[in-house]
Amino acid sequence: MLKQFARWLFLSLLLLAPTTFAQTEPIVIDFYYPTAVEGPITEAMQRYADDFMAANPGIVINPIYSGSYTQTRETILTEINADAVIVDVAVMLATDLYSFIENAPIVPVQDFIDPLENAEDYTADFFPAMLANSQDMEGVIWSLPFQRSTPLLYYNADLLREAGYEEAPQNNEELIEIAQALTTEDRAGFLLPVAGAFPIWLYQSFAAAYGQPLVDADPTQVYFNTPESLAAIEFMTKIGLSQAEGGFGVGPLGGSAWGDTPAAFTSGAAAMIYHTSGSLTQILKDAEFEVGVSFLPSGPAGDDGTGYGAPMGGGNLYLFNDGSKSEAELAAMWAWVMYLTSPEVQADWGALSGYIAVRQSAWELDPLKTLTEETPQYAIPRDQMAVAVKEFDAYRSIDIQNIINPALSRILSTDAPLSEAPAILEEAQAQIDALLAEYR
Amino acid sequence: MLSHRLWTRLTPYLLIAPTLLLVLVFTLLPATRTLYDSLYQPARRAIEPSVFIGLQNYADLFDLTHYLGGRFLPILQNTVIFVFVSLVVAVPLALGFALLLNRQIRALGFWRFSLIYPMLLPLIGAASIWAFLYSDSIGLINTVIRSLGGQGQNWLGNPNLVLGSVIVVNIWKQAGYYSLFYLAGLQNISRDIYEAADLDGANAGQKLLWITVPLLRRTTLFIVVIAITFGFQTVEQLAALGLGNPADRSNLLLWFIFQNISERRNWGYVNAMTVILVSILLLFTVANFLIFERRGVEDERA
Repeated sequence: MLKQFARWLFLSLLLLAPTTFAQTEPIVIDFYYPTAVEGPITEAMQRYADDFMAANPGIVINPIYSGSYTQTRETILTEINADAVIVDVAVMLATDLYSFIENAPIVPVQDFIDPLENAEDYTADFFPAMLANSQDMEGVIWSLPFQRSTPLLYYNADLLREAGYEEAPQNNEELIEIAQALTTEDRAGFLLPVAGAFPIWLYQSFAAAYGQPLVDADPTQVYFNTPESLAAIEFMTKIGLSQAEGGFGVGPLGGSAWGDTPAAFTSGAAAMIYHTSGSLTQILKDAEFEVGVSFLPSGPAGDDGTGYGAPMGGGNLYLFNDGSKSEAELAAMWAWVMYLTSPEVQADWGALSGYIAVRQSAWELDPLKTLTEETPQYAIPRDQMAVAVKEFDAYRSIDIQNIINPALSRILSTDAPLSEAPAILEEAQAQIDALLAEYR
Repeated sequence: MLSHRLWTRLTPYLLIAPTLLLVLVFTLLPATRTLYDSLYQPARRAIEPSVFIGLQNYADLFDLTHYLGGRFLPILQNTVIFVFVSLVVAVPLALGFALLLNRQIRALGFWRFSLIYPMLLPLIGAASIWAFLYSDSIGLINTVIRSLGGQGQNWLGNPNLVLGSVIVVNIWKQAGYYSLFYLAGLQNISRDIYEAADLDGANAGQKLLWITVPLLRRTTLFIVVIAITFGFQTVEQLAALGLGNPADRSNLLLWFIFQNISERRNWGYVNAMTVILVSILLLFTVANFLIFERRGVEDERA
């Protein structure tokens, strides 16, 4: 609605403008951006657009708030289906790559990076973990990171100190040990938010920490039915099982709900939680105790048993060309994308939105630099980039998520006992392989 | 010039033309297209034409080893449970509320408002509040249970409780609304009948069972039909109450359809499921018409 209105308004203004005034037609870039965080996002986008237009006369940026990621994807797919592609540049999930390669006319940003003088340095300044979801098997970069996030361990440092723990748990054993020490009648030692929401995101961290990430570079392979996966799921399930049932007894059966987990933490009803880096600002604001933030604890993978495996999350910038775009239009689209991913804009955007700034050099600039100096917790998600893994993506990614999520949920919620987990994984893997067969 | 007679004959058609056009463009055309598309499978690439596959989409949905079929039947079952449990609890509850509010009691306006306000709240907002009431760690319900020495439950995380939790929200939302219809129905029952019953020495229970309930039959039928229709169309509260999780145990048909729209390759299945859902709704609407509308005509003749 808003989008249509904005377009309508814009077009009518364009018609009203005297033709003599604009001697050369300006290039108009329709920029769709969804958002999953609160804050003055629309104002910030308009400010970036205004600054960019001031520096680039002849280009008009038309920022269009497009709702959620799902709504944005549906808008774009509908435009493509109706053969009326309006979108020029869009922020969409980093994990939409293969869906777009199959369904939408996206242009690889590699085409624009290659002619740059400092192409290698330019690419190297992005966090490599963030580029993992942008690259296909040949290493071609299709999209650029823009608003990215990663799960973190949040802990109540006051409670840990009272119990004699000066540091955050480094691995899963320590996590459970501390969680058990801090679990009381009315406090969960550790909340794993896998009930209700999408368990696949946090599952990926355990799968990687146990030695077999859910995906690698090949978009036709998904590794769900593996011994590592089974061990990871068993560990996750035991968090909610009572000690009498053979579990750890540190959280609710089936895990906590995504939305109320930060509130449970800040109100003192949970001593430690996993949650997205995007919640950091709100948690720091609400908590009346010292909030500790650390990497997700490691699992048994690797030679030294330090299998880290936080997945990435969030959105990338995609460029669309249905074949009708001129060189000048494509150049203008790329200029806008380069601007949005510039260290200056990223330093501002990261501090303002809570997303992890995607350029390493952005962290040396204000306001981000001051923010991390004053509040060191903000540097943790950046540092976790060193051990973060590719987020789940493959052909038919939505269908496959819709297979994996209910399968995980059946086991984690103990709808099916752990003894049935191997059969559930096998069935899910068979359905995934059947879907991917035609792509191999 | 058109003759007066022709005008007279044309007027009704002209009057319904705008509505007819809307129904045609926004209901009949999409419905036909849905039926048509449910017989096709989208090609691998968006630019290629879809392939005609007959009733294969429907067959897949009823195949338990298929990636969607394995979920479709349990979700259909959830939906039927959701609709009928909501119905058998909400409708008697609504009648009870209406009977209470039909008397002269203190602060009548306040009680009536309390019943109606769940209907006035936007469902998504109300469901979000319920999500916090249900919260395992910080929810009001568990806090109360624990303060009384009981054991809290993971209302939205426990697969055996979650559908019940969602049904409770639905009943809370709908019962007050239905009671409005009963209140209106009660006002229409003539006092004479009760007075006659009093003379015959009928007690309150007998009057309820033999006068009130039978005379509210048409209201009840109407409520049952809208309750079933609402039930099958339920979707918003799932967005706030766990998205059909855990393990699809609270997933309902319309939400499942919505979940699968995002993948273009599923559009055949999405259309087939829509056809099934619309068929179920049509069945109840036609039944309603046969029972309710036709009886209405007879009643007027009588």
